[in-house]
Amino acid sequence: MSKTTLISVAASLALTTAATAQTEIELWHAMGGALGETVNQMVENFNASQGDVQLTPVFKGSYEETLTAGIAAFRAGEQPNIMQVFDAGAATVIGAEGATIPVQTLLSENGVAFDIEDYISGVRYFYADSDGKMIGMPFNSSSPIMYYNVDALEAAGVSAPKTWEEFQETTAPALAKAGYIPLAQSHLPWIFTENFHSRHNLPFATNDNGYDGLDTKILVNNDAIKAHFTALSDWKENGLFEWYGTGWGDNQTPFEEGKVAIWLGSSGSFGGLAKKDLGFDFSATFMPYWEAVTTEPTQTFIGGAALFAMSGHSAEENAATAKFFEYLSSPETQVFWHKETGYVPITEAAYDMAKAQGYYNEQPAAEVGIQQLSLDAGDNTRGYRMGFYVQIRDVMNREYGRILTGETSVEDAFQNIETEANQLLARFAKTQG
Amino acid sequence: MKRAGFTTVSLPVFLLLPQLVIIAVFFYWPTVVALQSSFYLQDPFGFGSTFVGLQNYADLFTSREYHRIASFTVVFSVLVTFFSLAIALLLAVKADKILRGAKTYRTLLMWVYAVAPPVAGFIAVIMFNQSWGPLTQFFGMFNYTYLVGVNFNDTAFAMVLASVWKQVPVNFIFFLSGLQSIPRSVREAALIDNASAMGRFWDVTFPLLAPTGFFLLIINITYSLFDTFGIVDTVVKGEPGNNPMTLVYKVYVDGFRGNDLGGSSAQSVILMVLVLALTIFQFRLIDRRIHYT
Amino acid sequence: MSLSKMRKLKLSMIVDHGVLILGSLFMILPLVMLLQMTTIPDTEIIKTGPTLKIGDQFDDNLYKAMFEASGFAGENSGLSMLKNSLILGIGFAVGKILIGMLAAYAIVYFRLRFATLAFWLIFTTLLLPLEVRILPSYEVVQWLGMLNTYQGLIIPLIASATATFFFRQFFRSVPEELVEAARIDGAGPVKFFIDILMPLSKTMIAAMFIIMFVYGWNQYLWPTMITTDEDMYTLVRGIKQIVQVLEGAVVPEYGRSNVLALVAVIPPVLVVVFFQSWFVKGLTESDK
Repeated sequence: MSKTTLISVAASLALTTAATAQTEIELWHAMGGALGETVNQMVENFNASQGDVQLTPVFKGSYEETLTAGIAAFRAGEQPNIMQVFDAGAATVIGAEGATIPVQTLLSENGVAFDIEDYISGVRYFYADSDGKMIGMPFNSSSPIMYYNVDALEAAGVSAPKTWEEFQETTAPALAKAGYIPLAQSHLPWIFTENFHSRHNLPFATNDNGYDGLDTKILVNNDAIKAHFTALSDWKENGLFEWYGTGWGDNQTPFEEGKVAIWLGSSGSFGGLAKKDLGFDFSATFMPYWEAVTTEPTQTFIGGAALFAMSGHSAEENAATAKFFEYLSSPETQVFWHKETGYVPITEAAYDMAKAQGYYNEQPAAEVGIQQLSLDAGDNTRGYRMGFYVQIRDVMNREYGRILTGETSVEDAFQNIETEANQLLARFAKTQG
Repeated sequence: MKRAGFTTVSLPVFLLLPQLVIIAVFFYWPTVVALQSSFYLQDPFGFGSTFVGLQNYADLFTSREYHRIASFTVVFSVLVTFFSLAIALLLAVKADKILRGAKTYRTLLMWVYAVAPPVAGFIAVIMFNQSWGPLTQFFGMFNYTYLVGVNFNDTAFAMVLASVWKQVPVNFIFFLSGLQSIPRSVREAALIDNASAMGRFWDVTFPLLAPTGFFLLIINITYSLFDTFGIVDTVVKGEPGNNPMTLVYKVYVDGFRGNDLGGSSAQSVILMVLVLALTIFQFRLIDRRIHYT
Repeated sequence: MSLSKMRKLKLSMIVDHGVLILGSLFMILPLVMLLQMTTIPDTEIIKTGPTLKIGDQFDDNLYKAMFEASGFAGENSGLSMLKNSLILGIGFAVGKILIGMLAAYAIVYFRLRFATLAFWLIFTTLLLPLEVRILPSYEVVQWLGMLNTYQGLIIPLIASATATFFFRQFFRSVPEELVEAARIDGAGPVKFFIDILMPLSKTMIAAMFIIMFVYGWNQYLWPTMITTDEDMYTLVRGIKQIVQVLEGAVVPEYGRSNVLALVAVIPPVLVVVFFQSWFVKGLTESDK
């Protein structure tokens, strides 16, 4: 057979496949309720935008449930093409090399241009390996930011605090006097531990925050964070801070009801807050920092979750997955996602597009997360990588709850967290053996 | 076996087969797997694993937190068992005494048997809602700020209350049927011998109910240990935090939520030993009675 | 009877009824509260909580809960969860009774060489509830590729010999003369089982069915682990979803959630209440 006929046969074959069968791929995600509808909408748009790939999104419950379902399916050989994994599960999924195809590899193998520098600084390395190779595609990316009730701050005659010192000395007393509970937050491990270290550029764990090896030790038992929790429990005693339990919503509700003046939540909470009829104006700004710890505060890193391409599928299906990732990271899709949900856009191009559309003139608070993720980076700001981190967070939540209900001292609590977390890390290292 | 049995050989094998296959696959196999994986630490995806001998057990026995959870489980079981038995006994004695409306009361007091534990937990979540829960407001009248999900004891009380509510009906049914099976002659004799109703209850009725009560004791302990999972899970809203939890919930949290297969399997094995001990104790003292599991 | 004694008697009757009424209220009020909340708009409930007011939202909420799937948990409507709950409840009860009866018949009425071994193999399962081997059971079901299937949901729950044990007790109480008479009449084991034993066991079967149906319907931990596809959710498993969604919703949909909770409760309650005497008899007799 001559070369030309071979090519033409190949071409006609390719045409027939395209005409007869679309490649069907599946995405397992943990986005319930309104977020799930936005995911469905985005996927419908993707399916309509081209004819080769048919993507089906499947809601699998909470983040933990989605991860467990995905692992079980993998062991049974029935894994989806794409799985959403949250920040705390990153070590588990990235540790299992061979379970996933690094997004960077997937894209370049399928001829999609990839440059990690296109991504917003705080987004780049959280789901990357120690060499900086991106493994998971950041999906619903958020960072903890400070929301405040504009009316409350006006009534108290203060502005949003830049530092915790300012909060303690000026903002909080004035807000308390005006009849508000000055402060609440929704996720102590994420906001006041992981991102606390990043904001102050403090190391969170050995081995470069755990990225460089399995024999990692957590460094959470340090003076800066202990001073922070001592301050928190003092504030709580003096009515300057309130804690409504470990649940996210239980802490958000009092802010929405106008009882709490300042609430630390996710930049991804913006969409929900904006849709509610709150009865007061709200805005948002950066997370405060302790001037006593640093005068050069750094960026925070992303929370939320990423999409991982699971291995064990045909080249054709992997190409389809790459195609969806390409669509997902396009500026148009990112801006759509950003506006609908409040999650930050992951690329600079998407950010520029939203800016050019004048979106932040209408909604200045929507920009805070991205700006915070784009602040100066430091040695300790790219994220963390620790195994059994779901349990480590559970330990933190438990000990923090005990501090705030007066059942334990800050000193003992952090001693416990350190001991138990290191034990969990050592156990995790053995699971990888 | 009956003396006058059939002697066919193949038919009984055929009859037993479905039962044997199911328990082999879904009882014996998992039990062996639990034992085996309790000696390993394995990567959830199945790539790596290390044989660690008894380390998973050692970690548990030296963990202060595991001890705390175990002691909470004991306290919780004692409270749930005591209150659901006591309330059910009181109601059964009263229901046995009255003539008019007995059937209506019986229906009203037993239907909650059919309510699933997580629904009981869901009701507790609403009752103790921090901003408007009716029971939160009730405690507020006594100047007590009730904070479910924040305060350990407040959350524990909500769990106990929901668990008792769900368990009173079963105990009530058993106590009532126990009372009604006390022969008329015995009651009449007691009526002559003992003038006070209280005296009659303690001298005659209570001893006659003791076997029922003992059997129920085991049922209630098993209930508090295992069936309350749905209540614990809904009351803490899936976030353990500093909330109380039971041993079974811990198995779930570590194994299913945290993907620590080895540690969770070791906890399963510990529970197996515990249940085994409890069952042997039960068979020894009141043989031949069993419960629904 | 003297007047004072009469008065005392009357007083004690009032106390008796008082205690029983209080007990009944303790049992019923929580459900009444759930129901009241479904009649009020969600936007109002999240400000006031349950009150004594009765609104007109019940129909809307019922419709939303049963037929609308989106916005709540994706693709599962109350109706599909109701279907799954029924499949689980009935499938579990029928499977358990059928398998238990056959095994008990084999053990009681046949001379088998390995009868003792089979007996112990089967009755050891009474010692360990599913909860203590939950994770490995999950792994086994996963290896067999039965996650998110009805078989995976139902069969592992059947792997305990309670029904076998009850039928064994019951068959042993059946007079022996019956077997002898049947044999003299020339009836084989199959004919004996169908024509004589089955009719005798009717009440027992009915009682077991009610108890097992309620037990299966109310399963929570196992379905929570085994079903992750929403179209496989049962109502009771859906409660987990309800609690999670109430947490983060823009306006928590108490109306809809409470309707679902009530729908999860009503069928087993009706079964228990309507077949009360069978149920009570089955529960208290078979436990002896």
